[in-house]
Amino acid sequence: MRNVSQIIDGKRKIIKKPELLAPAGNLEKLKIAIIYGADAVFIGGKEFSLRSQASNFTLEDIKEAVEFANQYNAKIHVTCNIILHQDNLKGIEEYLQALDDIGVSAIIVADPYIMMLAKKMNLKLEVHVSTQLSTLNSKAIKFYHDMGMERVVLGREVTYENLKSILNETDMDIEYFIHGAMCIHYSGRCMLSNYLVRRDANRGGCSQSCRWYYDLYENDTLLTNENDMPFTMSSKDMALVNHIGELIELGVDSFKIEGRMKSLHYIATVVSTYRKLIDAYCEDPDHFVKDESYMNELIKAANRALCHGFFYNNPGINEQLYNIRDEHPTQEFVMRVIDYDEKNHMATIEQRNYFKVGDKIEIFSPNHSNLFFAVKKIYNEDKEEVDVANHPMEILYIECDQTVETNDMGRKVIR
Amino acid sequence: MELVISLNNKNRLYDYHDMGIHYYIIGTIYSFYTPHIFDIDEIKDMVLSYPDCHFYVSMNALYEQDEIDVIESYIEELSHISISGLLFQDFGILQIVKDKGYTFDMMYAPETLNTNTQSLNTLSHLGITSAFLSHVIPLEEQLQIKQETSIPLMMFAHGVEYMAASKRKLISNYKKASQKDFNDENLMIQDRTSKKKMHIFENDRNTLIFSEERLYTLDLFNQIRDMDYLYIETLFMDDYEAVEIASLYSDALNSPLYDRDVKALLALLYQMNKPLSRGFLFDNTVYKLEDVRKMDNEKRESNH
Repeated sequence: MRNVSQIIDGKRKIIKKPELLAPAGNLEKLKIAIIYGADAVFIGGKEFSLRSQASNFTLEDIKEAVEFANQYNAKIHVTCNIILHQDNLKGIEEYLQALDDIGVSAIIVADPYIMMLAKKMNLKLEVHVSTQLSTLNSKAIKFYHDMGMERVVLGREVTYENLKSILNETDMDIEYFIHGAMCIHYSGRCMLSNYLVRRDANRGGCSQSCRWYYDLYENDTLLTNENDMPFTMSSKDMALVNHIGELIELGVDSFKIEGRMKSLHYIATVVSTYRKLIDAYCEDPDHFVKDESYMNELIKAANRALCHGFFYNNPGINEQLYNIRDEHPTQEFVMRVIDYDEKNHMATIEQRNYFKVGDKIEIFSPNHSNLFFAVKKIYNEDKEEVDVANHPMEILYIECDQTVETNDMGRKVIR
Repeated sequence: MELVISLNNKNRLYDYHDMGIHYYIIGTIYSFYTPHIFDIDEIKDMVLSYPDCHFYVSMNALYEQDEIDVIESYIEELSHISISGLLFQDFGILQIVKDKGYTFDMMYAPETLNTNTQSLNTLSHLGITSAFLSHVIPLEEQLQIKQETSIPLMMFAHGVEYMAASKRKLISNYKKASQKDFNDENLMIQDRTSKKKMHIFENDRNTLIFSEERLYTLDLFNQIRDMDYLYIETLFMDDYEAVEIASLYSDALNSPLYDRDVKALLALLYQMNKPLSRGFLFDNTVYKLEDVRKMDNEKRESNH
């Protein structure tokens, strides 16, 4: 068993708090992830990274990211997790050196060549084994340990019981997914996208073919007629919010949130929720009471229905998405707070989606509890009163009696 | 160059052997997938009966932590039989073999990952002794890797192609959710856009998806002759098809006048009336955003 707690002043406290690792698809999201409490953020560079459709970071961006993270004592992990083909072999050494020079804390890697190259180059950064390698057991972890890797990101198929056993068998840093979308097939072992649309999933071109509808045949007989439920493999997203205490007690080193393609609102909501939950549990684990508020908060940003993934065992029908999309309408993210004038009770905001006078707004923040208010007055940059906020990214002023803070987010309560 | 066949029937070993095929992949309950599950006694029998043949046991699943003790014991049992090697994709298998000091040929066969020279050369220093090239890369790249890699390589030559595997019970779950009653044998799924059909089935470990079409390379021997091993996948083949295919490839390999005979051999292949394809051999995949957009545009234009 990993020792995670200690009695301090007669009360058990968690002394091995797991890292909260958040995704970011651009600099704005990265900064918000850190402000909202991420201990580390993983990002993709322009080269050698999956998720080719995320914005992805230039070396200049990565430098800015590291400088920003340093101010908060946070870390930056860069994904270099494509499976290399012959035409990807050039330029890796220079790229790794540049990342190291910038001060990136770790790279996340799937290809053994990059792993060994990074070690051979004697870089300061850590090398983490990507979930693309679907690592499910302690023997495979030992293999990577012997290669000199510092951390393994486990496959999402690892159950709680197997995780427990793995952590008993290894001292190596273990990263475990706690939240986000799930590959339907073993990560890194899926060619559906390659086969159906010639887009290479293992180099960032995944078309998410596993989420499509298919017709099912038995021999040549069509089983899925027009009005039938189509065959689909799609899954609900994972949210282990109700199991965070158990995972902390096991001594997992890093909790990973999936979603480099996800929105600013999603990242702020999810990071903030897990940050508060982890901190509350670690402060007083023996008196921590599970409640629904954390899950309720996550649902506001959920793109799909949520489930516990493989945590207990193999997912059944309740963990999959059938027939209807079963996707949650997200609360609508409408504003980001830029500033607050306490004297005049006026918040300067950046508009993100349409809202109007009379709408009920929920403000959430890394620093205070959620606040609710109805929009009474909106002013544009010329201080003219307007009824609606309908220009994306427009700077506006709204009356707000309750104190809000820079970087708080506002969402429209739609039900 | 040697032909390697995934053994679908012990009783056909004589025929394959007679054709000059000496390399066999043997499936067990621990295999990712296999045309047939053999037990340890059957493997012992085959090894003893065919001492001039090479038997590789397919330990190529991704293994859960709670299986590791059983897997370790099974590999120990295998170490007492004169099999030549293990096919694997989980580095846990390699680690077990290294820890115990077994001397199997360790053929790394991860379906999708063996796609460049440098990674294979790196892994050759870490205990892998041969490798099965991914069939997701073009022939040209496979040949280049062969030229620049130090360990023996196997190329996928013929058969249905692996597409994906999930730990989820995708068919059972769908059956429950849809409340449909159907036989689990011979199921296929068809993408509604590309209309491509794929085999789908569940085994005790996973749900697996394979192409309906058989990749074939019978007429490409002049290009692929430098490969060390050519693999024939007999999954979804009946006995007749498996033996015929083995025979065609064996004839092609052993023909002193290949260029003359290949047309006749191809004609026999076509006569079998099975869907054939070139897989990714002459077709590149794309992944960069600009290339994906370009490909989508080209598709749209060609549809007009």
